[in-house]
Amino acid sequence: MSNPLAYVFSCIFVLLTHGTMLFNVFYNGKYDDVNAVFVLMAAVIGLDAVYFVILPFFKQQTYAVDFMLILILNMGLIFQSCFGGVEFRLKHFVTVIAALVACRVGYFACRDHRWIEDKRKLIWICIGILMGIILLFTGSRSMWISLGESTSIQPSEFIKPLLVLACATSVTEQQKKHKLLCFNVVYENLILFGIVACVCLFQWWCRDLGSIPTFGAIYVSGFLLRICYPKGKYSKKPIIIAVASLAVLAVIGIIVAPPYVRDRLFVDVWNDKNGNGYQQAQALIGIADGGWFGKGPGHGFLHNVFAYSSDIVFATISEEWGLLFSVMSVFVLLMIVAIPLVNPPRSYYHGSMCAGIAAAFSVQMALNIFGSCNMIPFTGVTLPFISMGGTSMAVSGLMAGMLVAAQSPVFKAPKKKKEQKKPLPAQPQQMQPIPPQQPQPLPPRQDAPSQPPVSYTLTDRRK
Amino acid sequence: MDTAKLIMCAVSAAALDICVLVLMITAYREKSSGRKRWRKTSADMELADRDRGYPLECDEILIGRHENADIRIHDMSVSRYHAILNVADGKWTITDIGSKSGVYVNGVHVEQKRLRENDVITVGERRLIFRKRRDRH
Amino acid sequence: MKSIKRCQHIITLFLSIFLVGMVVLVIKINREASFYMMNSDDHRLGMVYDRRGDVLFDGTGRGQYTDGYFTDVGNLIGDDKGQMENTLVAQNIGYLNNYSFSSGLVEKGGKAAIYTTLDHDANRAVYNAYMGAKGCACAYNYKTGELLVCTSLPSLDVTRGYADIDNMESGTLMSKVMYGTVPGSTQKVQTVISALEIMGRERLFSKTYSCTGSFVNAEGKNIDCHQSWGHGDQNIQQAIENSCNPFFAQLIQDSDMPLDRIKSQYEKLGYAINGEDMKYFDIDGIQCERASTTLTDTGDFITQWGCIGQGDTLVSPMQLMMWQSAIANSTGRMTMPHIISKVTDVDGRVKKEADTEYSKQLFMPSTASTVRQMLKTNGANNYGWQVPGYDIGIKSGTAQVKEGAEENALLVGFVDDEAHPIAFCVVLENKYSTPVSAEQILTIMLNSLCS
Repeated sequence: MSNPLAYVFSCIFVLLTHGTMLFNVFYNGKYDDVNAVFVLMAAVIGLDAVYFVILPFFKQQTYAVDFMLILILNMGLIFQSCFGGVEFRLKHFVTVIAALVACRVGYFACRDHRWIEDKRKLIWICIGILMGIILLFTGSRSMWISLGESTSIQPSEFIKPLLVLACATSVTEQQKKHKLLCFNVVYENLILFGIVACVCLFQWWCRDLGSIPTFGAIYVSGFLLRICYPKGKYSKKPIIIAVASLAVLAVIGIIVAPPYVRDRLFVDVWNDKNGNGYQQAQALIGIADGGWFGKGPGHGFLHNVFAYSSDIVFATISEEWGLLFSVMSVFVLLMIVAIPLVNPPRSYYHGSMCAGIAAAFSVQMALNIFGSCNMIPFTGVTLPFISMGGTSMAVSGLMAGMLVAAQSPVFKAPKKKKEQKKPLPAQPQQMQPIPPQQPQPLPPRQDAPSQPPVSYTLTDRRK
Repeated sequence: MDTAKLIMCAVSAAALDICVLVLMITAYREKSSGRKRWRKTSADMELADRDRGYPLECDEILIGRHENADIRIHDMSVSRYHAILNVADGKWTITDIGSKSGVYVNGVHVEQKRLRENDVITVGERRLIFRKRRDRH
Repeated sequence: MKSIKRCQHIITLFLSIFLVGMVVLVIKINREASFYMMNSDDHRLGMVYDRRGDVLFDGTGRGQYTDGYFTDVGNLIGDDKGQMENTLVAQNIGYLNNYSFSSGLVEKGGKAAIYTTLDHDANRAVYNAYMGAKGCACAYNYKTGELLVCTSLPSLDVTRGYADIDNMESGTLMSKVMYGTVPGSTQKVQTVISALEIMGRERLFSKTYSCTGSFVNAEGKNIDCHQSWGHGDQNIQQAIENSCNPFFAQLIQDSDMPLDRIKSQYEKLGYAINGEDMKYFDIDGIQCERASTTLTDTGDFITQWGCIGQGDTLVSPMQLMMWQSAIANSTGRMTMPHIISKVTDVDGRVKKEADTEYSKQLFMPSTASTVRQMLKTNGANNYGWQVPGYDIGIKSGTAQVKEGAEENALLVGFVDDEAHPIAFCVVLENKYSTPVSAEQILTIMLNSLCS
């Protein structure tokens, strides 16, 4: 581990945050039996502790995302366990663990960008299989597969990370151009466009309109990162002009749209606050009632409203914990997504993957939060890491794992190039970084041929 | 709302704020250690042109005349997308990606070649030297 | 490296769009939280005060008031029970919300309040002056637009609730000031205005028509005068003072009064003509019915009666009073009345303060001056002894309602006094069976306002 001090401090402060939250629950919360609080405390603190002990064994290069992940997941567990009275929600606890496991899976799957890129065709096939499963196993035009009494999974959620991987690309891939009708095109881009179009049409058919913006955003990020490399002239100006004109068109479209379309887009929840607008109206009233500091864990009203723990979860948290706290929680989510800005990924594939994840998360968060607050149409999308729901938690965990992978990449030689040296162990000497201040004399290398003298000075002046 | 309750709420919000701050600091610390680690992964090499050195900070570095190339060489003899540099296990490889004038390493025309320290790469009429990174003065 | 930078730019793009949305959301919630809370079942309402700080509505429900304390303005101020929609409290309940996002609902000591321009004492005096008769009265300052008196009978004491709602007389739950009534001869003021606008002062004053008690119009129908033996030859000033119906019927039929000009002038004044969609104008959220009439042909019976003040014409007392302000100010522009002088929020900060506003030009200032002089002459000649002590311009009206079964008395006018610039309208229903006259009510109203 390169930053033991930072690791320990992060552990302490995550524990401290959860501790104060739990103390707040204990002090302000609404509960019949104090044991419920202790069970919750044990679960949260125990999970933190176990996680912090296990985590170093993965020998990652960075841990910031993991800390934020456990921070937000356990915060979500506390939130969910307090809605309408403190009660440990085992189901959510299990999904939290599922998310953490999925994070590991995502990490191991994606940390070698060449390996995962070679599996591109497999990913396409997986998307196809998933769509087939939805077609065959879900009820007609529904998006849930029900497994037994109370469990059901939403297979379309799993398309999200796969689409992120399909949209991620490497520079090398973008150089494989082919002449098609006097255009230089990369076949892979065309295939991707086809896949995305299929997925979106399929979602439309399934009436799962809420996830189309997410898929769209993932594709937009992928598309923006792809159009830079074909040989044709793509400069920033036409792109900016195109985006601006699209926005202007959208605004004009909304202005000139016939009233019934606008009514669909902007439901006046207050005129229909006991009908279609009930959820949003109650959510907004809940936020207003909560104020900055909330009514106290468990004291809210919104747990009586349908989908309080998933679709309008932002409002439910705001009501019980205060707007300040819920905005801070969203900020933690943003931080997870923003990590690649701090510690840049080291390959284009990982970079475009991070961008896809950022697109997926931010659009999903926007749809959930702004939708429940009546700023945009209400779609019923989940809030990553906080909303109740196993599929969404596991998929969000998987995508967080992909971010971790981009933070701790490995660069292994492709297997087919046998003439190169055998791959190094997965984490070569990461545990003892060499201080860069010390001058390193260049050892004579056995494999280096004698250099012909060149006109430049090659004296090593490193300090 | 009574004061004690308000204080509790403020304290837990403050704890969250501080935690976020600490995690941000952690992320920034990891940034600097990550940079060190990259130097190991990439063997801390750079490409040197006549007057400047280009650091090699990620996998898949594009050399060319195009605006989007990572190492942009303003020379008409260089193709827009000329060559690409890959790193694996601390070894850099140069690959010609369909350039007009070809890639020469130490005077030999190559399609793909493992690079060694102090190799001279010729793209178009420009010569680049693959060498250990130097600090700027 | 540029390629990685590009990825980071995309991430930044998505994050900043989301962040902007988040900032907008927080600002929006901060601004609109009070409105959201009004839609909740949980309210903490503040007070409504009159111009002297006297309570007109107590949202806390904790104050002790004598029986009938709020009756005089009961159907104007209203309450939060939802029975009366078109009232000050129901329309402005958001202002009374003792809530702010940072402090939540304030149980005690919230300072959210509406300070009105009404004069509770004057309202009570006017209410009592009716002595149980029905009708309504309103008065306002035609220079500033402050509504001073607005009472409507029968009324109710909102503190008693609506348990006996079935026994309430019709018209109890609305302020009649805001709803159309038959204007009677007060309509002639608008007709004179139109005639002045169309043919000018000289032409109008040169016209004389003869009244024999009844006039057979172009359609062959009789337009009767209230004075069955007739008024003889009159000019416009005499006709206004006599309130002579045949004179006005002949004036409308005159070839100098083309229908389209009359129509356009009436539209300028704010009439909804020939069943045009009835619109409302609002006074601090309270909706007031627009005047309406039927104008089809200058020789038409209904049209002529419409211009005389019967027929299909309906005008709200509020609008009759507002036209008087355009006359009294000699500008041809109405002073728009307002009830709310200021609003304070839960912390006592002033959230809204009233400003004097004027309508667009309804008629020329010269017309206004002429009519002003005509009404003042009428006031001096005929009302000096009935409303003593005031230099008033006035026009009376008698409106037949319920198909002639009842007659309402109306008085509209203004006080020409720099210190007390008051425009008024008094309606007394079924005037022959009341113990009081409209003039007496007006006198009491002016006495209590000018004391």
